[in-house]
Amino acid sequence: MAGYLGSYATLGLLLLASVVVFVGAFSANRLLRPASPAEPIGKRETYECGVDPVGGDWAQAQIRYYVYAYLYVLFAVEAVFLFPWAVIFDRPGFGATTVVEMAIFVAVLALGILYAWRKRILTWT
Amino acid sequence: MEDLSLPKIDYAAVAPMLILFGVACVGVLFEGVLPKAARRVTQLVLALLGLVAALSVIVWQSDTRVLTAGGAVAIDGPTLFLQGAIIVLGIMALLLIGDRAMEHGGAFVAQAAITVGSEADRKQAVKEQGATEVYPLTVFAIAGMLLFVAANDLLTMFVALEVFSLPLYLLCALARRRRLLSQEAALKYFLLGAYASAFFLFGVALVYGFAGGVEFGTIHDSVTESTQSTVLLYAGLAMIAIGLLFKAAAAPFHVWTPDVYQGAPTPITGLMAACTKVAAFGGLLRVLYVGFDGVAWDYTPILGVVAVLTMLIGAVLAVTQTDIKRLLAYSSIANAGYLLVGVLALSKDGLSSTMFYLVAYGFTVIAAFGVVTLVRDADGEATHLSRWAGLGRRSPLYAGIFTFILLAFAGIPLTSGFIAKFAVFGAALDSGEAWLVVFGVVTSMLLAFPYLRVVVMMWLSEPGESTPTVSIPGGLTAAALVIGVVATLVLGVAPAPLLDLTTSAADFVR
Amino acid sequence: MRPVIPYVTAALLFGLGVYGVLRRRNAVLVLMSVELMLNAVNLILITADTTVRAALPQTGQVFALFVIVIAAAEVGVGLAIVLQLYRLRATVAVDDVPLEKVDA
Repeated sequence: MAGYLGSYATLGLLLLASVVVFVGAFSANRLLRPASPAEPIGKRETYECGVDPVGGDWAQAQIRYYVYAYLYVLFAVEAVFLFPWAVIFDRPGFGATTVVEMAIFVAVLALGILYAWRKRILTWT
Repeated sequence: MEDLSLPKIDYAAVAPMLILFGVACVGVLFEGVLPKAARRVTQLVLALLGLVAALSVIVWQSDTRVLTAGGAVAIDGPTLFLQGAIIVLGIMALLLIGDRAMEHGGAFVAQAAITVGSEADRKQAVKEQGATEVYPLTVFAIAGMLLFVAANDLLTMFVALEVFSLPLYLLCALARRRRLLSQEAALKYFLLGAYASAFFLFGVALVYGFAGGVEFGTIHDSVTESTQSTVLLYAGLAMIAIGLLFKAAAAPFHVWTPDVYQGAPTPITGLMAACTKVAAFGGLLRVLYVGFDGVAWDYTPILGVVAVLTMLIGAVLAVTQTDIKRLLAYSSIANAGYLLVGVLALSKDGLSSTMFYLVAYGFTVIAAFGVVTLVRDADGEATHLSRWAGLGRRSPLYAGIFTFILLAFAGIPLTSGFIAKFAVFGAALDSGEAWLVVFGVVTSMLLAFPYLRVVVMMWLSEPGESTPTVSIPGGLTAAALVIGVVATLVLGVAPAPLLDLTTSAADFVR
Repeated sequence: MRPVIPYVTAALLFGLGVYGVLRRRNAVLVLMSVELMLNAVNLILITADTTVRAALPQTGQVFALFVIVIAAAEVGVGLAIVLQLYRLRATVAVDDVPLEKVDA
C-alpha cells in the first residue's frame, strides 16, 4: 500500500476505526442490557409523551424562505471569485486595474441585492 | 505560479459585449428605481440604443483581427459578422417584444408568480401591463450570444452558453396567454438545456485532459501533434457537439424545439429561432473549424448523418403539423440540417455560405413569427392551422406577406431562401459532399409541401365563422415586418453585397 | 502514475446523473441529477489539473470555480421555473405533477 493508494490508507484506517467503534458500542449495549425489558402500555406508540402526531408528513414552507435561501447561496457562491483575486491583487503588475475590476464585479452583485430590495423581497411581512 | 500576469484586454474590440452587459445592468437598475408607468418606454429605448451603439462599434471595428483577454476572446471576421447579425436580428426581435398594440399590456405576463386561473390571474390578464424585466433579460441573452460566437476557449464558450440560455429559459415562461403551456415549455427547455450543457461541460473536461488546455489554439496543436491515445479527444468532441447541436436544434437533440417554440411567447420564439440559431452555429463553426480541424476526416461522416437525420425529421414531421408555430419549429429543425450541410463543407466557401444562410433565415423567420402575432381572436393568437383558412380573403396584405415568407422558406428563386440554399449546397458540392446535397434537395422539395399547403389554405378556402381577424400591427411590429420582408427580398434579388461581405469575413484567427 | 480512482468516481457520478435524468419523473430530482453531472465534471477538472502538462498552472482548479458558480446560477433559475409550475398546478406534492413531457 506504499504506492499510489498509500495516501488513502489513512482514510481506510479511519473508516476501519469507526466501524470497530460502532460495532463495539452496539455489541456492548446488547450484552449489558436486561434480557426481557418492561412493556408498559403505549411504549410502541410514535411518541410516549407530548401531543399525538396528526396530519401528514408534508409541510409547506413559506415561499419567502426560497428567495432568502437563494439570495444567500448566490452571494456565498459568487464570493469564491474573491479568493483567487485576494491572493494576487497586491502583486506588481496588477494594481489599480485589478481592484477596479473586482469593484465592478461586486457592484454587479450589489445591483442584484438592490433589485431584490426594491422589489420588496427583503421585507418579512 | 509566479509567472502570472494580467492579461491584456483590447477594450475597443470587446466593447460591443461590454456595452450590452452594461445596458442590461442599467436596465435592472431602472427596474428597481423607476416608477412603473415610465419603465416600459425607458427600457425599450435603452435596450434599442444599446443594441444600436453595439452595432456601430462593430461596424467601426470591422477590420479588427485580434485575440484578446489572454486568448479567451477572438475578434475576427466571422465573430464580427455573426455579432452584427445577432444584433440586427436582436433589434427586430426586440421590436416584436416591445409592441403592445395588438394586445393590452403586450405579450408578457405582469406577475409570473400569480397562479394560473385564480381571481388575481384573471384580473391581471385584462388589466395589468406586461413585465418590463423582459428587456434587460433579452439584452443579457443577446450579449451572451455575442460572447458565445467570440469565445476562443471552451470555458468562455460554456460561460457564454449559460449567460444566453438562462435568460431565455425565463423568457419562455412569461407568456400572457396559455400560461400553463408556456410554463411547461420553460421547464422542458430548462431541464433538457441543463442536461445538454452538462454534456458539453463533460466534453470540455475530457478535452482539457487530452490537450492540457481549453483554448482552440492549444487544442489544435495537440490534435495535430499529440501522440497519446485519442479516446479522450473523440469522446470530448462528441459531447461538446451534443451540447452545441442541442442549442442548434439538430436531430436527435431536437425534441424540445416544437414544444418550446409553441409554448414560448411568440416574440421570444422569434428571438430563439433567429438569434440562438446564429449563436449556436457560430459556436459550432469555431469549434469545428478552429479547434478540431485536425480530425475533420473523422467527424465529417458522423455529423453528416446528423445533418441528414435533421433534414429528414424536420421535413417529414413538418408535413403532419396542425399548429403554425409547431410547423415553423419543424421547419427550423430542417433548416438546422441545411446549415449543417454548409458547416460540413469545411472550407472558406462553407463558412461564408453558412453565415449568409444564418442571416437570410434569421430575417425571414422573425418576420414569420411577426405575422403569427397578428392573427388573433379573443383568446389571443390563433395558431391552429385550420383557423388560417381563408385568411387571404380577410386580409390580403398580411396573407400576401406570409405567402412570400413561406415561399422564401421553400427556397423559391427571387427570395433569400433560394440564394442561401444554393450557396450552402454549392459549397458542399465543391468539397465533395454530394450525398449531403442530394438529401438536402430531396428534403427541400418535401418541405415545400407543408408551406404550400398553408398558402393554398390561406388563399383558396372561404373564410369561415372561426377565421380570426388580423390585427393592425403596432408601429414596432410593422417595422420588424418591413425589415424582415425587405431583407428577404433584397437578399434574394441582389445578394452580391452580403455574399461579398461574408466571403471577406470568412477567416478565423487562431 | 494515473489517478484512476478519481476518474472512475467521476465517471460513475456522471453515469448516475445521466441515469437520474433519464429515469426520474420528478423535476427537482432531475435538477439534482444534472448537478451530479456537473460535480463529476468538477472532479475530472481538478484531477486532470494535477496530471496534464498545462500551459498555465492550476487552470483546472479555476475552471472548477466557474463551473460551481454557473451551477448555482442554473439551479436558481431552474428552481424558480419548477416552483412556479408547481404553484400553477395548484399542488405541492411534486410526485402528483404530471411531467410526462419532461423526461425525454
